Amino acid sequence: MESPIDLETRPDCAVIALHGVTREYAGHAGTVCALDHASFSIVAGEWVAITGPSGSGKSTLVNLIGCLDRPTSGELRIDGVDVAAMSATELDRFRADKIGFIFQQFHLIPYLSAVENVMLAQYFHSMTDEKEARTALERVGLGHRAEHLPSELSGGEQQRVCIARALINNPPILLADEPTGNLDAANQKIVAGLLQDLHAHGHTIVMVTHDPEMAALAQRKIALSHGKVFCHPVGGPVISLRK
Amino acid sequence: MSRLSMTAIMRRSLVHRRARSLSALIALTVSAAVATALLTLYADLDSKLHHEFRSFGANIVITATDSTRGLQPDAMERVRDSAGPDAQAAEFGYAIATTDRGTPVVVAGTDFAAVRRLNSWWKVDAWPADTDTEVALLGQRAAEFVADEHNIQLKFADHAITLHGVGRLHTGGNEDSRIYLPMTAFTAWTGAPPSTIEVQVPGGEARVESAITRIREALPAARVEPVRQLVEGESRIVEKTHALMYGAVLLIALTVAVSVLATLSASVLERRRDFALMKALGGTQSTLMALFLLEALVLALGGVAGGFLIGSAAAWTISQLDFHTATLPRLGVIPVVLLVNVLIAAFAALFPVRVLRGLEPAALLKGE
Repeated sequence: MESPIDLETRPDCAVIALHGVTREYAGHAGTVCALDHASFSIVAGEWVAITGPSGSGKSTLVNLIGCLDRPTSGELRIDGVDVAAMSATELDRFRADKIGFIFQQFHLIPYLSAVENVMLAQYFHSMTDEKEARTALERVGLGHRAEHLPSELSGGEQQRVCIARALINNPPILLADEPTGNLDAANQKIVAGLLQDLHAHGHTIVMVTHDPEMAALAQRKIALSHGKVFCHPVGGPVISLRK
Repeated sequence: MSRLSMTAIMRRSLVHRRARSLSALIALTVSAAVATALLTLYADLDSKLHHEFRSFGANIVITATDSTRGLQPDAMERVRDSAGPDAQAAEFGYAIATTDRGTPVVVAGTDFAAVRRLNSWWKVDAWPADTDTEVALLGQRAAEFVADEHNIQLKFADHAITLHGVGRLHTGGNEDSRIYLPMTAFTAWTGAPPSTIEVQVPGGEARVESAITRIREALPAARVEPVRQLVEGESRIVEKTHALMYGAVLLIALTVAVSVLATLSASVLERRRDFALMKALGGTQSTLMALFLLEALVLALGGVAGGFLIGSAAAWTISQLDFHTATLPRLGVIPVVLLVNVLIAAFAALFPVRVLRGLEPAALLKGE
């Protein structure tokens, strides 16, 4: 188990680094601050669980890290690059290179087979390679289901296809938003095992979860409450980094 | 498939949502069919309408300035040369004779074969044969002026003639009060030369005016005038028919565009998550737009292919029913039909493209 991390002193190892990141949304009743001056870093190979109640800002944080959204203020660096300064097209490209997404609702294209869904990530990244895509499916135990449509797969199988898709371009960061949220206990165990395996092979995993058992698998928890970040290592004291 | 391409994704998408795809395809096929039919008919419309107007009779009247001297002997030949090979012409000579009942009647000498071609709108129960000489065609009213239709006794300036009435003529106009006989018999009996030539020149007002100019040059001593109500009426009708066709195409195109807009919009709204996912995977805005617009383009092209066949068949049928002639398919209309369909698809894609532009993957893909 790692000791409490002094996040301000290890920026050079950080694959994800937030400094004073704020995200605000304009609403009918005024401005809503979904994330308030978040500052933390995640180093390469770490498995971090992001926890918090509904409305705490978890999805906002995940969307920012996933380059699906931009901060209103503050600095966000992914793999050393300041993403706030990027254009929309540059961000799309960057996302394809750096982030592998694992969604709670899988989000597989219904008219593409399992292998084609994996190849879709390749298509938007560089070039499709069916052999590579099949290998990725075999890695998650679905080599024999490559030609099946999502409607012909169980929830757990669909999530595994999602994981294969997330891995196909070897991104430095895997971003999992409630990866076991829609699965039964048996499939949760399978997916959890896959994530453990990936972590053991050195992947950086940022995982949003409500599930304490899943959170316990991570090396470190980042807890959010009302848009503010609290960080602590697994089993360690809570360190408030609010600015 | 060993490679995943944009066309493969598009094809799968269209097949997966076959009901929506079919709906849009049918709408675009209808627009292409209507455009094809109307444009195919339009291309022939002028000639067909002018052909119909031919049956209304002469649109140019040539009269001798001196009725006693008549037109010059070679006037018909000059008129035929000037008016063109597809013009119809017939000469007339007029005199006032007296019937056996003592009633004055206008008699007209003419070439029955030429008149029959020129005035196909005349209702005649029996035309005299070309070889008949002393025969007559009686106007409906003129028949009451004679004692015996089969033995018509006429006198002109103390010269008598007996004609055999072959048939009756009904036009509703002045012709009903006349007795028509062959020009040779008329000239031999009255000594009067032809004084009038009626001409039908097919085509619009410009062509008729051009023919008039040439005839005037060929017959400087004659008075050459258009039948204004026919010439101008024909032009107006042709112009209005063109405008009606353009309006119909525009109206149908707009209706189809609205229908396709609804279908494409529903398609994009149904697939917002799919597009959001593609964006999350690194798809750029332009790639997503290209994917969507490619689908719309494929549907437009499919509509053109089917619509051209259906429209050509419809044009052929309409032409047969209305004008009793065949209108063959015209490949030349394809570019215009294609443009119409592509514009419809582009217009229909405006709103869905806007939806795509405003896509927020973060909001659509979030798990909670």
